[in-house]
Amino acid sequence: MKSLIQPIFTRYWNPYVVLLIAGVLSALYFGLTSTVWAVTGEFTRLGGDLLLLFGVDISGWQYFDMVHLKGTTWNRPDGWIVWGMFIGALIMVLFSNSFKIRLPKQKRRYIQGLVGGIIAGFGARLALGCNLAAFFTGVPQFSIHSWIFIVATGIGTFFGAQLTKTRWWKGKPTLTRGAAKPSNVKKRVIQPYVGGIIAILYIGLIIYFFATGQKFLGLGAMFGLFFGILIERGQICFTSAFRDLFLVGRSVMAKAIIIGMAVSSILTVIVISIYDLTPITQIAAMSTFVGGVLFGVGIVMASGCETGMMYRLMEGQLLFLPVFAGNIIGATFLAYAWDHLWVYNVLVKGGSKINLLDSIGPVGAISATLVMLGVLYALTVYWEKRYHRKLAVKRGMKAHVS
Amino acid sequence: MSAEKEADFTLDLRGESCPYPVIYTLETLEGMNKGELLQVITDCPGSFRNVPEEALAHGYTFAQDPVQNGQEYLFYIYA
Repeated sequence: MKSLIQPIFTRYWNPYVVLLIAGVLSALYFGLTSTVWAVTGEFTRLGGDLLLLFGVDISGWQYFDMVHLKGTTWNRPDGWIVWGMFIGALIMVLFSNSFKIRLPKQKRRYIQGLVGGIIAGFGARLALGCNLAAFFTGVPQFSIHSWIFIVATGIGTFFGAQLTKTRWWKGKPTLTRGAAKPSNVKKRVIQPYVGGIIAILYIGLIIYFFATGQKFLGLGAMFGLFFGILIERGQICFTSAFRDLFLVGRSVMAKAIIIGMAVSSILTVIVISIYDLTPITQIAAMSTFVGGVLFGVGIVMASGCETGMMYRLMEGQLLFLPVFAGNIIGATFLAYAWDHLWVYNVLVKGGSKINLLDSIGPVGAISATLVMLGVLYALTVYWEKRYHRKLAVKRGMKAHVS
Repeated sequence: MSAEKEADFTLDLRGESCPYPVIYTLETLEGMNKGELLQVITDCPGSFRNVPEEALAHGYTFAQDPVQNGQEYLFYIYA
């Protein structure tokens, strides 16, 4: 038994497999509930909840109407997606005995995290959804806004990566001469037991939701749990997909995400045609592009996006507390700027909802999507090769000089 | 493991989150002389995979297998 359980909870899973399963589950969740796997909409609502708590009158704010700010986070299925993801990630962290409070030595990271988090939160909501809504639900829903968002995020990430490379941003690590001793390891392992207790309580809660007829809360809580387990075990990092390609020519996460998107697209088109569901389409406008660029810059500054920060925080990486706070502040500020400032009139008004299913039919939509993903995959491979070609040239010159 | 060569330098990255462990490791290796041994101590779970994979992809070799030490990993890489 131990030999079977051990690898599941002590090793990280292959990101390709994880994103394949996530693609299947997100299509299934859509089929069951007609809503999508998303998190930043709920972050905006959390911001609204906080404003209400402090007695701010938000009744006239259009954006909160648009994201259906009702009840509390505990009786919204989207709320349970978020908390389920946190709890699923935490359970996995504890099962693998890998929780540890991790504090960055570079104090500047906290400020970078907060500022990056605010920019990413603002950008994501300006574009009406973060990378989850665009990559994992938008593309498979054939909403053209997601294509714009992907390109824009790529551009933003590129600039973010340039910033990350500067000396004043990254700081200097402590390099010491000779060997150093690692930390002492605690002999007693208690984390898996704590994880087990949390898992039992949480499963009890899911059963309670279903038993009391609150099907959608139950589904939200259950799928949130699954998604949390998956992103932690696969160490799924959307931020790194583009960034690491620009920084160190690393392509594994980008490739895995593209393949996950392709699978989810095929399944979603099947689900939509069998159950005759309406795909979820978001407005494609200037705001999608601007939001995507801001989001790309912000997630690299913060070292994590709205999804990645969830499991990192559960691992004990406290850097992601200011990132989480920043995400909510940014999303809430966008909700304010939407109609109180000029955001809607200047950036959104001219846009329209375009869905490939409506404009070119299911066969055209899935073909166009697969071609687009194929091009994205080819570009990823090209960039990786280009990086390593440049590296080889640099190496050759160094060898020549010495 | 006592027969292994003593590390020339140690990069203590405990507490740092991705992508900084991988950036720091590659930069440090680039600045070292060929053949010198670098010990990396890191506790960011993302770095357990991207540090060794990118060190290899950038043409460096490992002196020994990575060592898991509780919630952290130790890497021994030749510049």
